[in-house]
Amino acid sequence: MEMSVIWRRTVPQLLVAIILVVMTALYFLYIDKTTKATLNYWDQLLINYSIVIAALAAIVGGVDLARYHVALIMKREREQIPFSLITLFLEVVCVVFAFYALATGVPILTQPQFSWIYLNLQVPTSSAMYSILVFYVASAAYRTFRARNPPALLLLIVGVIVMLGNTSLGFVIWPGFTPLKDWIMTVPNAAGYRPIVIGVGLGTIILGLRLILRKEVTWMGRRD
Amino acid sequence: MNYLPVEQVINPAAGAVSLAILIFLSLSGYYYMKLAERGRTFPVRKIRAFEAIEEAVARSVEMGRPVHYTIGYGSLRTAHAPQYTAGLGVLTHVAKLAGKYGARLIVTHGVPEAIASIDEIVRDGYFSEGRPELYNPVDNARYLTDIQFAYASSAQAVIIRENAGANIVIGPFWAESLILAEAGTMVGAFQIGGTARDVQIPFFVLVCDYAFIGEEIFAAGAMASGDIPTLASIRGQDVGKLLSIVLIVLGLILLPFGVKLATYLMW
Repeated sequence: MEMSVIWRRTVPQLLVAIILVVMTALYFLYIDKTTKATLNYWDQLLINYSIVIAALAAIVGGVDLARYHVALIMKREREQIPFSLITLFLEVVCVVFAFYALATGVPILTQPQFSWIYLNLQVPTSSAMYSILVFYVASAAYRTFRARNPPALLLLIVGVIVMLGNTSLGFVIWPGFTPLKDWIMTVPNAAGYRPIVIGVGLGTIILGLRLILRKEVTWMGRRD
Repeated sequence: MNYLPVEQVINPAAGAVSLAILIFLSLSGYYYMKLAERGRTFPVRKIRAFEAIEEAVARSVEMGRPVHYTIGYGSLRTAHAPQYTAGLGVLTHVAKLAGKYGARLIVTHGVPEAIASIDEIVRDGYFSEGRPELYNPVDNARYLTDIQFAYASSAQAVIIRENAGANIVIGPFWAESLILAEAGTMVGAFQIGGTARDVQIPFFVLVCDYAFIGEEIFAAGAMASGDIPTLASIRGQDVGKLLSIVLIVLGLILLPFGVKLATYLMW
C-alpha cells in the first residue's frame, strides 16, 4: 500500500475507530476513583482536541466563504455583487475584532462594538427568518390538510383537534378539545414516535460498528 | 481470584443492561457482516427515498437545472455527528449520480469540519464517472455559515436563485427544515428529505416527495457504499428491532402482574 494512502485513508480511519472505542469505554466503565480521574483526564483531553480542530475548521470555512464570494464578484453578476461585498466586508470586520481581541486580551463577545453588531444585525435578521416560519407552516399545512383520501382526511381531523386543543378558541367552542389533544399527543403520537427514536438509536449503534470496523468509509470521499 | 462488583466497574448512570444491549447488537451486526463476506446474501428492504435519488438527479439534468444537496449546519463535535456522517454517505451516492448524468451539483452546508470531506466526495463523484470537467470546487461545494438562520437563509437563497431541479436535504435539522423544504417547493424542485431528529421528521414527510424516516438515513449510508458486507450490517439493526419488539411485548404482558420491566432494564 502506498504511503500516501496510509496517511490519507488508513490513519484517519484508525483514529476514528480508536476514539469511538475509547469514548464508549469512558462512558460505560469506571473502576475506581483514581482510574476514573485518569479516564476523565483523557476524556477532557479528547474534547479539548475536538474544540481546537473545530476552531481551525472555522478558519477554513471563512476562507471557503471568502473564495466563493470573490469568485462571484469576479463574474460581475450585477445582482449578486452588493450581497457578496456586504458578506466580505462583515467577514473582514469580524477578523479585525478577533485580532483586536488577541492584541488587547478583551474577549470578542464582551467588546461593545461587536455586541452592537451582534444585537443590531445578527439577532434581528435571525428573528426575521424564524418568524417567516409561521407562513411556511401555514402554506405547508394548507397543502397537506386537503382531504384527498382517507388517511389525509384522518390527518386533517387530528390536525384540527390538536390545533383547537392548543388555542383558547378551541376551549370556548368545546372544553373537551384540550383533554382530547392531550390524549392524542401522549398516546397515539408517543406510540408512533417511540419506534422511530428506538430505530435511530439502533441505527447509530450499527453506524458506530461500521466505523470501528472501517467499513463505513464514504465520509472520506476519494477512494484510492 | 477476586472480582470487582459490577457497580464498581459499570457507570451506574449508563447502566449494565445498556452496555449488554450495545455489545449484543454490535456482535450481531459483526456476525452478519462476516456471513456476507463468506458469500451469504440477505434481502434488504428497499428504501423508496433512496431509489428516488436517481430519478431526482436525472430529472434535474433533463430540465437543465442543478441538484441542491445539504447536510445542515452545526458541528461534528455534537451528538448529531452520526447524522452528518449519514448525510455524507448519501452525498457519495448523489455525487456519483451527478457525475454519471452530468448534473451540476451544489452542496451547501454549515459544518466547518466537513468542508474537506465534502470537497473530496464531490470531486470523487465527478472523477470516478469520467466527468472531471464538471467539477468546480468553488461552485460545487459551498460552506455558508454555522449560524442557524444565516445558514437557512443562505441555503434558501441558493435553492431559489439557482432554480434547483432537485433539493435533497439529509442530516440533523432544526427549525430550518421547513425553510429549506418550502424553498424547494417554491421552485418546484423534486424533493427528498431525511433526518433522525424526530421533531423534524413530520415536516419532511409532509413537504417532500420522498422522505427518509429516522434510522433510514443510516441504512442509506450503507446502501450508498454498495458494499455487500456493509449492507449486511443492517441485519444487525433488524435484530435490535426484533429485540425491542420482544421487550415491549414482554413489558406489556408483565405489567398487569405489577412487574415494571423498564425498572429492571435501567439497571
